[in-house]
Amino acid sequence: MPGTGTSIADAEVMSEWLAALENTGFATWLRESGSIWAYPTVLTLHTAGMVMLVGMNWTLDLRILGVAPGVPLRSLDTLFRAMWIGFWINFVTGVMLFAADATTKGSTSLFMLKLGLVVLAVLASVLMRRSINRPEAPSRSIPVGARVYASVSLALWVAAIAAGRMMAYV
Amino acid sequence: MNEFVLFVRSTALSEWVRTAPWTWPALEIVHFVGMCLLLGVIGLLDVRLLGFLRSIEVSSLRKLLPFGLLGFLFSLISGVLFFVGAPDQYVRNPAFFAKVVFLLLAGLNAAYFETHSGERAIVTGHIEEAPTSFKVAGAISLFSWLMVLYWGRMLPFIGNAF
Repeated sequence: MPGTGTSIADAEVMSEWLAALENTGFATWLRESGSIWAYPTVLTLHTAGMVMLVGMNWTLDLRILGVAPGVPLRSLDTLFRAMWIGFWINFVTGVMLFAADATTKGSTSLFMLKLGLVVLAVLASVLMRRSINRPEAPSRSIPVGARVYASVSLALWVAAIAAGRMMAYV
Repeated sequence: MNEFVLFVRSTALSEWVRTAPWTWPALEIVHFVGMCLLLGVIGLLDVRLLGFLRSIEVSSLRKLLPFGLLGFLFSLISGVLFFVGAPDQYVRNPAFFAKVVFLLLAGLNAAYFETHSGERAIVTGHIEEAPTSFKVAGAISLFSWLMVLYWGRMLPFIGNAF
């Protein structure tokens, strides 16, 4: 099959790169020091970031789906900002946790699935925000598209959490 | 192991949680989904009670509370099942003790707020400055729930490991 040789070479380069990442001083400290400030603290920050990211996203989804209609649409931008703070906390702590375990996580399809689900969930929320922020959108009613994106992001986060939890078992 | 632990472990429910292949991971998913829903709603309300996000009326935000309660039930039921499945992992674990203390604090604070100030929150519109009682309730709630999260996460790292 054409290209197979190249992809094997690519895979080798990739696994060497992952091993190098896993053997950096920081990744080794995170994994092996046994300090409460290493793995346990980064994992806790990753959980708190998830609560901010997913929790805020779900409250936004619920608002768009018609729960709490008294919450003004203009005020939602602040909630989107809080959601993004959670996202970046988890981006940084996620990279750290990945580095500590790079060879295992880098070759797990469940991890790739989790990343894919997170990307799609965030994308759905970005599209949801755009569809309610369009200048031509009526200020009172919520476009059908926004409701669809809200439902999709709500469901995708459940799937992303499930994939993340299952990583500890597979 | 004491008699209480042995008794809980001897129940059919405990056996099911421990031995059915997907119960523990499935319960963890439910526990985490519930946590995000609960802390998303409660955290937002707490931040509002502290005096931020004044463009949102407290009474409007309270419409989200049933969903926060739903999240709490998800986490509570799955949490109780964890305990029933492996009580020996929890009874002597100081992290579990701390988690339960902060859960009780969060619950008592919410009960006090609902019975003493919650009614006022319904009639309070765009208030210029949040009353001190709101700020105290919001601060206690936010801190307690973060501590519940923290000590829950510490369960496998402090005391007897999983």
